[in-house]
Amino acid sequence: MVSSRVIRNLKKEFKNSGLAKLGLALVVVILLTAVFAPFIAPHNPTDQQLNQSELPPIGFSETAERTSSQMVDGEIQTVTEEVEITADPDHVFGTDGLGRDMFSRVVYGARTSLIVGVLGTLLAASIGVPVGLLAGYHRGRVDDALMRIADISLAFPSLVLAVALIGLWGRAAVNVPDPFVVAGLAPEMPESFVLPITVVIVVGLVNWVWFARVARGEALSLRGQEYVKASRALGADDNTIILRHVLPNAVTPIIVLGTVQVAAIILLESSLSFLGFSGTTLSWGFDIAQGRDYVSSGQWWIASIPGLAIMLSVIGINLLGDWLRDALDPGIEGEGGAA
Amino acid sequence: MSFGRFALKRSLQGIGVVWGVVTVVFALRFVTPGSPINAVAPLDATQETRQAIAAELGLNQPLYVQYGQYVFELLQGDMGRSYIRGQEVTTLVFERLPATIELALAASVVAIVLAIPLGVISATRRNEPVDYGATLVSLGGISTPNFWLGIMLILIFAVEFNIFNTSGRGVDVGDVAMSVINAEPFVGTLLTWLAYITLPAIALGTYFMALITRLTRSGMLDELSKGYVQAARAKGLPRTLIRYKHALRNTLIPVITVLGLQLGTLIGGAVITEAVFSWPGLGTLVIESINQRDWPALQGSLIVIGTSFVLVNILVDVVYAYLDPEVVTD
Repeated sequence: MVSSRVIRNLKKEFKNSGLAKLGLALVVVILLTAVFAPFIAPHNPTDQQLNQSELPPIGFSETAERTSSQMVDGEIQTVTEEVEITADPDHVFGTDGLGRDMFSRVVYGARTSLIVGVLGTLLAASIGVPVGLLAGYHRGRVDDALMRIADISLAFPSLVLAVALIGLWGRAAVNVPDPFVVAGLAPEMPESFVLPITVVIVVGLVNWVWFARVARGEALSLRGQEYVKASRALGADDNTIILRHVLPNAVTPIIVLGTVQVAAIILLESSLSFLGFSGTTLSWGFDIAQGRDYVSSGQWWIASIPGLAIMLSVIGINLLGDWLRDALDPGIEGEGGAA
Repeated sequence: MSFGRFALKRSLQGIGVVWGVVTVVFALRFVTPGSPINAVAPLDATQETRQAIAAELGLNQPLYVQYGQYVFELLQGDMGRSYIRGQEVTTLVFERLPATIELALAASVVAIVLAIPLGVISATRRNEPVDYGATLVSLGGISTPNFWLGIMLILIFAVEFNIFNTSGRGVDVGDVAMSVINAEPFVGTLLTWLAYITLPAIALGTYFMALITRLTRSGMLDELSKGYVQAARAKGLPRTLIRYKHALRNTLIPVITVLGLQLGTLIGGAVITEAVFSWPGLGTLVIESINQRDWPALQGSLIVIGTSFVLVNILVDVVYAYLDPEVVTD
């Protein structure tokens, strides 16, 4: 499956490509951030400090007009005053409208994005790859039926279908205990991580078809190969041939597609959270939706910062995908299934 | 197979897919918890009231009768009546559809007009600063969530500089055309139209701009390395002729196919862009219908979205077959 030639190509391409290095660096940083979130986040991301709300990020202190209701001579009056809003070094990226630390929220958001991205991709692949391999290998009616199902499934935009399914099925979430917090290593952090399980299932269900198409194409071209014919002549049954000979040779394009799909699903998840179709409130898309209400009143950072986090993660993963594609097989189509 | 037969076969396949789309949309209601009656009946409705509503909506019929009736009525262009708005769904959907098409087309224009020159320049000046710039822009473009880009555009151009409108549609493109005929101030109408559509079109179009730039660049590089290009060079044909007449033409054929497949992404993107800019299109209708459990409106919107996708892809395939007759022989 992973031959020394593959590793050699990967290394060679990596050495020559600055973008591949950048991609790997971004992905490693995000991965570490997601795993060690309780240690990296300076505050509990769900902790509201209403007296510290709407603080700007460091370097963006400003004066602003604030209106408040005050008792003046026994009457309630609306008073407008010039206030100096100074950034608090304790909140590097500032705070949101409820006084939650933006940096901590961005750190924890990486968990949601990556877990949904990876689990969703695995689910999509575990449906799409077997179906595609079987259809491409057996051809005939099975294949025709699959291609029609794939056509129908493609006719619904991922986002529209996902919004419909989640909206109709409900936004179920599972609390997964955070091992670091349970072990008492980061006691002030949230005890459990909220996994939006409906979102994972739905993004898997709306994206399986891309895997089925690639797996089918590979199976179609591999079934005619001499070694496949030879093992058939030796009496191997179809399932053995698919598992032993077809699947291992189809793995490369599936991995490349999988990488691109993680990026696509992260974008899809953020869109769903933005529209309010998610089971968690610790998500970059959700924070952008919150920040949208502050755009016209000057608190630009609440919506901007989580978006930059999405962009950097997706750029990193896409660069990783480009690197794998260029190193492993220049002939693979690399686009598909984005949000 | 002749071209005509290919077009016919592709159309028949398309009808099959549309039927599948209708069936899936119909089935969606039966894999969803909760009865559609809940969307219509008051919370304290008695059993009798609920039964009366079910009878009125035809929900007490056996499944196959409901399905048969739905398909039968659909064939006559009747998609039922919205539970919430009381309007005919067909009217409702076709009222909203033009706004979405207008937005999608505007985004495609933004994307294509920028992307093809950028992709060509990038390929012909490979590894020059222009190429690096284009690569970075397109990488950023395919990695940016369009709803966030929309909000950033609002932040910069509407809040800071106060140039564009950020909510609603103002006038439609038809009004712009009519202003000429009715001798109304054309420039004024055009500017109003632009004030509303520019930001959503950029927000939605950027991803496609980036995608087409990448596809054009790699396609051009591929074509320029081929034998016929070298032969044309050796023959002494001018470089612009080779690039634009030969290489670009061959590059654009596969680009069009990918764009056909990406139409779903365009419509999906339109849904969320509409949400950001309160654009009164089909996307807004889908989200409202889901939240209100307005089944007829949701089903109607999904069927129209699915059918448009199938139609555009048949069109793409047929055009492709016309441009490249080899496809037909497959």
